[in-house]
Amino acid sequence: LANREKREGKPGEREMAPANAWLYGALAWLMPGTGHIFQGRWGRGLLLGGAVWAMFITGLLFGGHLFGFTSTDAGTNPLLQAAPAIANLGTGGLYLFCSLLGLNFAELPEQMRRATFEYGNTFLWVAGLLNYLSMLDAFDIAAGRKS
Amino acid sequence: MTHLLVMILFGAIVGAVMGVVSRETAREQLRYGLKVFGEFMVIGLVLAWVLYFLPL
Repeated sequence: LANREKREGKPGEREMAPANAWLYGALAWLMPGTGHIFQGRWGRGLLLGGAVWAMFITGLLFGGHLFGFTSTDAGTNPLLQAAPAIANLGTGGLYLFCSLLGLNFAELPEQMRRATFEYGNTFLWVAGLLNYLSMLDAFDIAAGRKS
Repeated sequence: MTHLLVMILFGAIVGAVMGVVSRETAREQLRYGLKVFGEFMVIGLVLAWVLYFLPL
């Protein structure tokens, strides 16, 4: 028990993450890859950021669209919008940029007719989900929980 | 772009990210990334054949 306490700390005692870990996590969300790059992890940052960017751009090229948390479309349940919107939100700055400019949020009939329309949506969701993983990775590295 | 190429692209990107964030050494990362990529390919092709035989 003594060894376990030494290794993991006393029961109920939790090690606080340093403030810069939160900063790097937020940076990783805001601009994919930067959370690692600012910690000097160039290779990891370029690979993770590049993967998110590639997924996002491919999704847009395939004709996918982003989901917002509110919809003006008749018959659309806001609860059904929430899950894909949360996934899309993971792309951080890319999502905010498109949101501010109102880009790619509408389901246009000419986009929906494309064979790759659903692939595009999936690529956009997964881009966000991968960036959530990247954020956690940047946070853990800054907090010293990962090498 | 064919459906197969889309699946390969998707599997390669997800495999690369999963490998990097899930393992410590470069060798382990490469092995795990290739494993995830391979699983995407095998499961995707198996599901495609199962759906092919279903009268949908």
